Amino acid sequence: MKKDIKEKTSFGVWLKKFVSRPGVKSVISSLICILGGFVVGFLVLLILSISSEDIDFADSFRGLFIILGGPFSAGNRGDALYQFGNMLFNCTPLIMTGLSVALAFKTGLFNIGAPGQYLMGAMGSLIVALSIPTSVIPPILVWLLALLVGIAGGMIWGMIPGLFKSLLGVNEVIVCIMTNWIAANIVSWVFSGSQFINVAETKMNFIKKTSVNNVMTPTLGLDKLFSDGSLTSYMDIGIFIAIAIAVVLYIMLNKTTFGFELKACGFNKNASKYAGMNEKRNIMLSMAIAGGLAACGAALWCLNGHQDFKWEVYQSLPDVGFNGIPAALLGGCNPIGTVISAIFLRYINAGGSNLVGQTAFNEYVSQLIIAIIIYFAGFAKFIKDVVIDKWIAERRKKSAAAPAKNKPDGGKED
Amino acid sequence: MSEEINAVPENRSDYVIEMRHITKRFPGIVANDDVTLCLKRGEIHALLGENGAGKSTLMSILFGLYQPDEGEILKDGKTVRINDPNDANALGIGMVHQHFKLVDVFSVLDNIILGVEPNRFGFLSKKQARERVIALSESYGLNVDPDALVEDITVGMQQRTEILKMLYRNNDILIFDEPTAVLTPQEITELMDIMRGLAKEGKSILFITHKLNEIMAVADRCTVLRKGKYIATVNIADTNREELSDMMVGRHVSFVTEKSPANVGDTVLEVRDLCVKSKLHKKNVVNGVSLDVHAGEIVSIAGIDGNGQSELVQAITGLEKPSSGSITLCGKDVTYQGIRYRNTHGMSHVPEDRHKHGLILDYDLKDNLVLQRYFEPEFQKKGFIRSDEVKKYADRLIEEYDIRSGQGAATTVRSMSGGNQQKAIIAREFDREHELLVAMQPTRGLDVGAIENIHRDIVRSRDSGVGVLLVSFELDEVMNLADRILVMYEGEIVGEFDPKKTTPQELGLYMAGAGRKNAKEESAE
Repeated sequence: MKKDIKEKTSFGVWLKKFVSRPGVKSVISSLICILGGFVVGFLVLLILSISSEDIDFADSFRGLFIILGGPFSAGNRGDALYQFGNMLFNCTPLIMTGLSVALAFKTGLFNIGAPGQYLMGAMGSLIVALSIPTSVIPPILVWLLALLVGIAGGMIWGMIPGLFKSLLGVNEVIVCIMTNWIAANIVSWVFSGSQFINVAETKMNFIKKTSVNNVMTPTLGLDKLFSDGSLTSYMDIGIFIAIAIAVVLYIMLNKTTFGFELKACGFNKNASKYAGMNEKRNIMLSMAIAGGLAACGAALWCLNGHQDFKWEVYQSLPDVGFNGIPAALLGGCNPIGTVISAIFLRYINAGGSNLVGQTAFNEYVSQLIIAIIIYFAGFAKFIKDVVIDKWIAERRKKSAAAPAKNKPDGGKED
Repeated sequence: MSEEINAVPENRSDYVIEMRHITKRFPGIVANDDVTLCLKRGEIHALLGENGAGKSTLMSILFGLYQPDEGEILKDGKTVRINDPNDANALGIGMVHQHFKLVDVFSVLDNIILGVEPNRFGFLSKKQARERVIALSESYGLNVDPDALVEDITVGMQQRTEILKMLYRNNDILIFDEPTAVLTPQEITELMDIMRGLAKEGKSILFITHKLNEIMAVADRCTVLRKGKYIATVNIADTNREELSDMMVGRHVSFVTEKSPANVGDTVLEVRDLCVKSKLHKKNVVNGVSLDVHAGEIVSIAGIDGNGQSELVQAITGLEKPSSGSITLCGKDVTYQGIRYRNTHGMSHVPEDRHKHGLILDYDLKDNLVLQRYFEPEFQKKGFIRSDEVKKYADRLIEEYDIRSGQGAATTVRSMSGGNQQKAIIAREFDREHELLVAMQPTRGLDVGAIENIHRDIVRSRDSGVGVLLVSFELDEVMNLADRILVMYEGEIVGEFDPKKTTPQELGLYMAGAGRKNAKEESAE
């Protein structure tokens, strides 16, 4: 590669410029993280296949391809379509919690309270969707009201850490963690013994599906499109709503005075105050919006109509809330990037489930591989700020050194 | 002339440090372009240049913080590689940074031995260290009490602690990065004496500055950089202030800002009995200050850093809440109004700390230039920012105020030099409609060329009928610009002076708390 530098100088310069652009830099660093995750994940598969008698060597390669294939690793076309539809549906809440975390990050806050906000959103939307009889009010109105109430619940829940932070200077992470568990206990308490619990024997831990009250997110036939022939998938228009929200957020952050203020407060609270912005109000607003986004994800998931919401959550928080963090980081905290990374994470998830069915690797291994990839997502910022910048600096050094010293092959100094 | 001095000497051992043909590039800028600097044993060598001329980069390379892209460093005639400050330390190179690297709650002695703690079987043994520090302190006339806590001693003493730190580590090449920026006139004189003493003992000193008086007073030779390029190395004995400044700026600079007598108009700012409580203790850091600023005059507050000036300015501009007293801006009581109200009712503010308050470093230049105006109809429509208008406006200010940056209006402010960051703030604050300009240390860390421009802008602003409240720790600046001088000491105004009838020495006495002049007169007028 070193020999090429002289001949391909113009390409090298172009590449350097291209990589230097902030957007491109973010994308490349995320891609490097994903690649790193796959390499290490594959090594784990390899070690397992060597050390275990049940799994042969070739399985590790098969396993890698199954994960890479996502839902398309399913045996046949019908299964693949069905899995793909479900994958898109499962993306919806992850996109929303990812957006929640990303927006907070953009405004200088770490929203680790997405699980709690998610639970409050789920509770609000489920209660509305199950308690208002659709015989009186059209189901679509109930659906809309349930969605809005869910969002409102999350906004209030997100506002609490925002209030503590802006008025009392309490770190939002601490308050978020506490509100998470408070939410978990409130939800369990509100639902325990309530009329909303599913009374079917095996489903006692779950809330009734909203489809019993005819409240369902419109599917526009997408569920039938993505089916294996007999079984329709859960696909609905939720993901399009999520993507539309992402676009709105992107515009808000980058084009409006409101976004200008929110970002300014995130970057430098003092300078925002100096410039006459109300930095305390902005912190509260941005946490409230973040809470609303996470709750919206919960509402879209619950209101699908075919999902079982486990109400006894006082011992475990929904992981989709926490997974919003890697989704946001991998997406460079850009709303559009977050959508893409959330879809990617669910894609890998789908591959992981297929791994269990098709190879001797058990479900823990597939979870482990996904965890490794998510873990590597955390390096996105490091790669962006350190590795790529260093690479650019070295390129510059070499391309500058070559003409100056007239070296025949411009980069042998290292 | 300069070529001769910088030519390779016959006897190389004359030089302790040679930095030869150093080139260092950063994205979009060549910070050092083929710069050569040779330091003789036992000399005080000044490094002079405007902001962004590459002085700090060059010294960072010598101190091992950056690696040069090209060129070599020689110590005693032998090529060396300095990968980090530890390497520099091993070669006997020490640096007093502009912002001291001291632990406030440690004693002077603890700070000096920090990192090279003498120990016996892992237990700290400070006795010998203490004796050595006292001996060093005495032999160089540093006069530092090794047992005092750093937070209790003056800035000048802290600086001497830093010097002792270098001496304790047996460094014989001492880099001083703008050492006088934080000192009073008296302390500066003391520092100059200390530097001369160090040089006499055979220490070689590199002295980064853009204050020509100090160079003329203390340096043996001076290397001038301009825009990253080497300009010349001159013997101080053969040159003068004007020649140096012309070399540094590349054009002729006048030191005295010309101004006509003030044409005083209505009162634009009226401060009455203002008190501000300290955040650290219960005492008032601003204690019953009353002052007036009229349209068309420059009122300057002189004083040593830390006597309540920052808090006074923050209370006037709304960053801090006063505990009592009143502030009237253009006839309206703004004591309890927000910052935006003041901004939109005639107040402009050049803040003391440009990184903390003045700029959002991660925003680009154009966004920073509209930081208090983005919501005005000119720049937004129904909540959407009119980016074309913002760009147009930014381009005009960049042109008018000569703000230099890598990518124009789209440059991230963090990547700009300090001088250009300050110019951006000046441009923004001066271009806004205002009747009162509150400027705190507006030329801090800037070079003579930029200072000249800012001073001219301030005077022009005054002549157009703006009232200016200028807070500065630089007596030269105060004497040069002010129509009235107020001296602030321990949170109170201790004297009012006419710049034509007073001397820096007299002001210095009041600044140090030695005198109190009836200042209440002016509040009563």
